[in-house]
Amino acid sequence: MQLFGQILVNGILLGGLYGLMGLGMGLVWGVLKIVNLAHGALIMLGGYALYYLYTKAGIDPFLGLPLAMLAMFVLGYLLQTALLNLIVRAAQLNTLLLTFGLDVVFVYLAQLLFTADFRTINPPYAGKNVSISGVVVPYAQFGAFLVALVLAGLLFLVLEKTRTGRAIRATAQNLTAARLYGVNPKRIYAITFGAGAALAGAAGGLYGIVSQITPYIGVTLTAKSFVIAILGGLDKPLGVIGGGLILGIAEAMAALYLDPTYTDIISFGLLVVVLIARPAQLLGRA
Amino acid sequence: MNRYRWLALPIAAAALAVVPWVTSDTIVQYGINALLVATLAQAWNVIGGFSGYPSFGNSVFYGLGTYGTAIAMAQFHWSFGSGLVFGAVLGVACALLFGIPILRLRGPYFAIATLGLAAVMSAITATVEIAGKNIGLILPLFRGDKLFYELSLILLVAATGTVAWIARSRFGAGLVAIREDEDAAQVMGINTTMYKVAALTVAALFSALAGGIHAYWITFIDPASAFDPSLNVRMVIMTLFGGPGTVLGPVLGAFVLSAVSEVLASQATGVASLFYGFVIVIAVLVMPKGLLDLVQGFRETGWRYFVDNLRRYRI
Repeated sequence: MQLFGQILVNGILLGGLYGLMGLGMGLVWGVLKIVNLAHGALIMLGGYALYYLYTKAGIDPFLGLPLAMLAMFVLGYLLQTALLNLIVRAAQLNTLLLTFGLDVVFVYLAQLLFTADFRTINPPYAGKNVSISGVVVPYAQFGAFLVALVLAGLLFLVLEKTRTGRAIRATAQNLTAARLYGVNPKRIYAITFGAGAALAGAAGGLYGIVSQITPYIGVTLTAKSFVIAILGGLDKPLGVIGGGLILGIAEAMAALYLDPTYTDIISFGLLVVVLIARPAQLLGRA
Repeated sequence: MNRYRWLALPIAAAALAVVPWVTSDTIVQYGINALLVATLAQAWNVIGGFSGYPSFGNSVFYGLGTYGTAIAMAQFHWSFGSGLVFGAVLGVACALLFGIPILRLRGPYFAIATLGLAAVMSAITATVEIAGKNIGLILPLFRGDKLFYELSLILLVAATGTVAWIARSRFGAGLVAIREDEDAAQVMGINTTMYKVAALTVAALFSALAGGIHAYWITFIDPASAFDPSLNVRMVIMTLFGGPGTVLGPVLGAFVLSAVSEVLASQATGVASLFYGFVIVIAVLVMPKGLLDLVQGFRETGWRYFVDNLRRYRI
């Protein structure tokens, strides 16, 4: 029972981070209708940004996180303005292909610039933990989980309460109508993609604290972000965190009760089952 | 000139057929890979190009063909021919079994479901006793690059011939109708489910055969290579690069990109892949409909073709 509790906590802590990964993916997908195959690469770049902020500039990772997010926001904003805005109205396959090309570029640039070595962001408190009735909660993982929740809440508030957030939601619902009401879609798209990149960057930084970064972590993370965004529903930030929790817990349980090699079968099997079982709901959004 | 255009294909095929007798072994080996991946691209073209269903899971059929042939030859000691048939049967059965539920999904949902199917199938194969689990299988050794080259060429010609027939047939018109507007196609009386499953089955058949030939040529297979997810990406990119929904586009795209990556791979791996990424990004921006469209469009409007493309889809 204690083991079960521990695995559940592990799954929940991992799930929060997964949710944050899905958040950026879902936001870009929901508003721009772009399935961003470079999402995992952006996560990876955010991880490296935070890694260098910590090792070279000596900034505490949790304090450096906003800086890494800002850098990723600028990168995302520029990418959207310079490239993605040019093809945003093309067939979905073309946007898939372009983001895939960007993914390849980022991965191999990272390999050239940062080498293929494993990197871990290792603050002094990384190994410390607190034990609650036998269940161990590591500080770093718990911090990452809290940050993920705070960012999801912030995104929710921004989308609901601010003028820019309303413009983003309006653009997602009906581009033409939003335009008629004076929304500048170029700017809104750039801000949205920038926000998606910033969220990916935050997820990458936290991933670097709780796990390891290499240039190649992106591909599986892209696929997982996709699964999470679908599980949670594209347009609901808090739902996406829920999707992350489902996946995190399912993976942790599979690793315990079946075998660690089954975690991928579980996450993708879950995906296929969900897709097939509730197509009516999904088709409405597709 | 146009009266004799149909002759160009047999002549090109015949020219390709004599390649192994006049060039070196390395070129033949490169040729086998290029022909097989062109076959995969052409097979993907049926489901992705004509019906517009972006499958990222065609490696499932390739992997099943690979494993079917390997199991038949290494475990049952069948001949290569029967092994190929066994692999093809496995691939087609999988397309029929999973096609019906998965083809109900549309757009990115379909794409990701196929991606998931590929991951699950690869993981399942790694746990099956008769498939050699994680270790894989070793097939009887047979040295005959020329034979494999000609077999791959025949397969590619058969796939291209099938696509040429589809492009002119009622079946192909139905698939294009589904791609353009599935609901409208259904209202017009097209049995969309049957059409889509048929398209996936054709794709599965050729992918599985390509996998079988590759298995016997390489003589060693394991789950990671048979269900290699990057294979999915490569066949999609090659088709899109050449021109999806056309007869020759996927073959052209596969040949050009295979040659580019072969040349670059002999230099430095990291830089080569980086360049590959840039090529994809630029190609999507300036020639979104593929090489074939580029050739035609450039003839009509010259350099304006690129400018027009950059303007067409921007917001």
